[in-house]
Amino acid sequence: MQLDINNISKSFGDKEVLHGVSFSVVSGRAMGFLGRNGAGKSTTIRCLMDVFRPDSGNFLLDGKPFKPRSLKIGYLPEERGMYQKNDVLAQLAYFARLRGATKADAVASANRWIDYFELSEFKKKKLETLSKGNQQKIQIAQSFLNEPDILILDEPFSGLDPVNAQIFKDAISEFVKEGRLVIFSSHQMGYVEEVCDDVTLIHHGNILLSGNLDEIKREEGQDKLFISVLSDDKAWERELAAAFPALAILPGDDGLILDTRGQVSQEDIMGWVSGQRLTLRRFGLYEPSLNDIFIRKAGD
Amino acid sequence: MRDFITVFNYELKTQLFKKAAIFTTIIMMIVVLAVTFLPRIIALFDSGNPEKSMEGEMPSQAIKGAGYVLPSGPEAALLTPILGEDESLRYADKAALEQALRDKAIEVGFIIQPDLSYEALYLDRALEDKRDSQLGNILTQLKKQQLITQKGLTPQDFVAIEEAQSQGTTTVLGRNSTNNYALSFALMVVIYMVVLLYGNGVSSIIAREKDSRTMEILITSTRPSSLILGKVAAAGVSALLQFGMVVVAGIVGYQLNKSLYPEMVTTMLSGTLTSSYVWSYLFFSFFGFILYLFLFAALGSTVSKMEDLASATGIVQFLFIIGYILATFAANMPASTLSVVASIIPFTSIMVMPLRSAVMTVPWSELILSGALMLLFVAFFAFLSIKIYRWGSLNYGNKTRLSRIVKEALRGH
Repeated sequence: MQLDINNISKSFGDKEVLHGVSFSVVSGRAMGFLGRNGAGKSTTIRCLMDVFRPDSGNFLLDGKPFKPRSLKIGYLPEERGMYQKNDVLAQLAYFARLRGATKADAVASANRWIDYFELSEFKKKKLETLSKGNQQKIQIAQSFLNEPDILILDEPFSGLDPVNAQIFKDAISEFVKEGRLVIFSSHQMGYVEEVCDDVTLIHHGNILLSGNLDEIKREEGQDKLFISVLSDDKAWERELAAAFPALAILPGDDGLILDTRGQVSQEDIMGWVSGQRLTLRRFGLYEPSLNDIFIRKAGD
Repeated sequence: MRDFITVFNYELKTQLFKKAAIFTTIIMMIVVLAVTFLPRIIALFDSGNPEKSMEGEMPSQAIKGAGYVLPSGPEAALLTPILGEDESLRYADKAALEQALRDKAIEVGFIIQPDLSYEALYLDRALEDKRDSQLGNILTQLKKQQLITQKGLTPQDFVAIEEAQSQGTTTVLGRNSTNNYALSFALMVVIYMVVLLYGNGVSSIIAREKDSRTMEILITSTRPSSLILGKVAAAGVSALLQFGMVVVAGIVGYQLNKSLYPEMVTTMLSGTLTSSYVWSYLFFSFFGFILYLFLFAALGSTVSKMEDLASATGIVQFLFIIGYILATFAANMPASTLSVVASIIPFTSIMVMPLRSAVMTVPWSELILSGALMLLFVAFFAFLSIKIYRWGSLNYGNKTRLSRIVKEALRGH
């Protein structure tokens, strides 16, 4: 399956919040949809789920119009909630029924995902009696009901502790391995790096980059070196800049990024560094983290 | 259709198995059953009185708990058989009578003069105590008899004169307001309660869904029409079941005690519950109820927080109360222009038309026009409430004017 998001624009009143958003998601590869608060992630997802109607553009699934209610989709909204005063199992079975399952399948699926998230003892309890963390897991469980072909999750990791986050990551990974289409928005880069094969970065309603995460990292690291020195003396930095005037020296995570911009030979820099009496913590080709890329691209 | 049934089943089960709903239904059934048993309960208490009279201690016109100072002479002989022959209730003078009152030997004392005028004495007089009037009536009758005798007539002549009256019968070709008003008004109050109770229930369910953010999961799982129609249908059936059980309790209680009811009650029931009234009541109450449920549902989806719900539904509650006031007016003046108009407009016809049908013969043209309008309004407001529900699922936060909500909802924003 391939889901194409084509040139989506959406305005609220006079303010356009999505400016021709386009990217693609393919099944069997988890897509991380990244952006700062207010960048347009949830609006894009809500347009995709037909909660909002876009002003222009379209969504295609394998070239055909994307109709969410006629597909097996699991959806976790950003602002999520469920019936506080109803039993956990009964309401999950109800949601499963609404998404097309038979009565028996709905109950079986609800049971399966309650058990998966280790909440079996709460099946007959009212949701309001569960802790906040357990309520969150039930909300996530509802998106997995009926084993959907497409999983769309808006900020799924927010509020999850590391143990529960791991259970959730395992569930997503399993879905991806089974060839399902998974897209989730987040601004927790660590989780995205662990789970996603592809990423799309949106900023102020515009797509800044979209594609394979490894390739993006490679591209972002091209012509760049990283150096981290165990010394507070900054004299060597001035000497380096004097020796290579075309070299751009950028602050990195506990070190410096040396951008040759194709104008300085990396071998020359390595030679210069080896000739200095520096105590190196790390020196080599630069491999940016997703966090570095995010901050550089969306940091205004 | 499948999703509608799913929503309907879930909502119905949720509503019917609420502890509060079960408790309320049982309490109402017990109350109604108890009311229908009232004649039997009253009969149980009344059964003691005839035993007392059989003992022969009190003649039929004896005044309970009364003591007397009687005049000497022929009047005493005249009064004794009527007031009772118990000498212990005779006192020599006013002072003795007052003492008997203070000693609580008697509850009321009468001093009767030779001209049959009297003075009544009480120690404490209860609000409903009419024993002085009772004696007044007895003495008035005696005085009339004395006068008639003086005029040379016999007591039989007196009875014949007293009982002489013009004989007449009244035939009501249409509805008899005198008999029908009470029951039809009571049934209108039932509808009033049901609409407000279940209307507020539906708006709370939807507002809570929005408040808890369940709505987004729901509208991405199924169509808004299935959700709204399912919820309204569940509320309607839940109301019918709950009140049906209360009505059954009433019917069972009535049937068990039917023989003990005064004739007036059975006449009123058979006079009011004619087929035309019952059909009018069922049709307008049912569809009017559904109409109001859609209104409440739509307004419930316009609020973001539960605390805003009361002010949002205020307008429809106000509208409904106007209907109630117009119905009370229509009961007295069913043929007035205001009553006719109110029985045609669906927001008020829910109560006004059944009441008019109970107290007068409503022309078929008005019934058909009103019924058709009711069905049209139900269909339109069902459509509108679906649109507003969809609008509500996208709009949180700022309060919006109702007119703007309707405009935006119809435009599909």
